[in-house]
Amino acid sequence: MTLSGLRDYIEGEGATVVGFAEVDEALPEEIAHLNRAISIGVERNLNADTLRQLRGLQKKTEKYLRDRGYKFLCIPPDSDRITDTFISKLYKLFSHKVAATCSGLGWIGKNGLLINPKYGPRLSLVTVLTDAPLQPDPPTEQSMCGECSLCVEMCPSGALSGREWSRDDPFPEIIDFSRCASHKGSTKRMSEKPNCGLCINVCPHGRRKPKEEVNAIVVTAEDK
Amino acid sequence: MATEERSKEVMAKLKNAVIEYDEDTAKEWAQIALDEGIDANEAIFNGLVSGMQHVGDLFEKQEYFVPELLMCADALYAGLEILKPHVKKMDLGVKGSVVIGTVEGDVHDIGKNIVKMMFDVAGFTVYDLGRDVPLDKFVQEQLKTDSDLVCLSAMMTTTMVGMKKVIDDIKAKNPNVKIMIGGAPVSRDVADKWGADGYAPDATNALKDAINMISSLKKLKEEAEAKKQK
Repeated sequence: MTLSGLRDYIEGEGATVVGFAEVDEALPEEIAHLNRAISIGVERNLNADTLRQLRGLQKKTEKYLRDRGYKFLCIPPDSDRITDTFISKLYKLFSHKVAATCSGLGWIGKNGLLINPKYGPRLSLVTVLTDAPLQPDPPTEQSMCGECSLCVEMCPSGALSGREWSRDDPFPEIIDFSRCASHKGSTKRMSEKPNCGLCINVCPHGRRKPKEEVNAIVVTAEDK
Repeated sequence: MATEERSKEVMAKLKNAVIEYDEDTAKEWAQIALDEGIDANEAIFNGLVSGMQHVGDLFEKQEYFVPELLMCADALYAGLEILKPHVKKMDLGVKGSVVIGTVEGDVHDIGKNIVKMMFDVAGFTVYDLGRDVPLDKFVQEQLKTDSDLVCLSAMMTTTMVGMKKVIDDIKAKNPNVKIMIGGAPVSRDVADKWGADGYAPDATNALKDAINMISSLKKLKEEAEAKKQK
C-alpha cells in the first residue's frame, strides 16, 4: 500500500486544507523519529462540531498510517486541555502552527494566529506526526501581512506588538499573553465564557463580509 | 461462556490493541471480553499485560520509542478501566496499598504515573498524591491510610533532597513501611545511603521494572492456580 493517496483521502473526508512538512530540525529527542508532520485544517464555523470533525480526521489519518505500518503521534486539538493520559505530556513538544507554516499552509499573522491565504485565521488545526516518508510541501517563508495592522489596532487590550513573523525569525514577541488573557477574563464575567476573537473577525484574509463592514468596525475602534 | 478458541482470539485482539497503541480497539475488545463472560483477570494478564510485555521488548530493540511506549500505556489503561471493576481480588500474599507522589517543587510526573499504572494493574489500592507534594503530606497520608509502601519520585537534583527527609520522617514513625524512590537524579547509591528499600532510575526503566514486576506477579498467579489444581 502506498502513501500517494493520503492527501486526497484526508481532503475527501472533509478537511479544508492538508499540508505535509519535513520537521527534522528542532524535534525534541523523544519524538525525533517522527520527522514528518501532517497538518490538517478545517474551516471553523465556531461550533462544537469542529472539534469532533478534527478528531475524526485524525483518527482516519491514524488508521491510514497504521494500515501501512508507519508510526504516528496525533497531537489533538485543544491539546492543553487534555491532561489525563500519559501521552498528553508530550503534546506540548510540538505546535500546530509550526506544522502548518512548515507545510506551507500559511504564515503567522500579527495576531499570532495561522493565516491561510484563502481562509485567513479561520482554520482550526490538528497535527499528526509520523515516520512515513511523505513528500514535503514547500514551507511558508515569511508573513504576508504587509502594511495591514487591523488586528493590532482592533485589540481591546493592546496585547499585539505588530511584529512580523518570518521563517528565519519564527518566535518574535507578537502577543502579550497576560494582557490577552486578562481581557478574555473580563469578558468571561459578562458571558461566562472567556472569549474575544476580535483579531480573528477583523482579519481581511478569508473574510466573507464585505469590506465596508470591516471599515465600519475599524472606525468604531478608532473612536474609542 | 466463550469457547477456548474464542477466548484466545479475544486475548490476541487485546494484546494487539496495546502493541498498536489503539485505544478504541482496546476498549472495544475489553467490552467484548466482559460480554462474552471471559474472566477479567485473564483478559488483563493474558491480553493487555502480555501486549505490554511485547512493547517492552520492542522498546529494548529500539523499534519503539518513548511516544509509542506512552501511547501503548494509554491503550492498556483504556482497556483496564473497563475490566477493572470486574476483577476478582487476587490473593498473592501481598497486602496492597501504596502512597505515591512527586516531591515538593517538582512537577515531572510521567515516571510516577507509569509506576502508578503498575500498582493499578497489580490490584493495589493506590493513593496518588499527584505532583509537587509537600513533604509532610507523604508522612500524613501514610499514617492515615496505613499503607505498606510509599513511592517517591523526583526529576531534579534540587527536589531530590526532599526525599531524604520524607524517608527519615516515615521511618521514624513507622519503621516497617517500605519506601521506593525513583527519578533521573536518583541512583542505587543514593537509595542505599538514604535508607530507601527500592529504586528505579527513570520512567522507561520504571516501566521495564513495572513489566518485570507484573510478569513475576503473573508467574505468582499461575503458580497459585497450579497449586489449587493439585
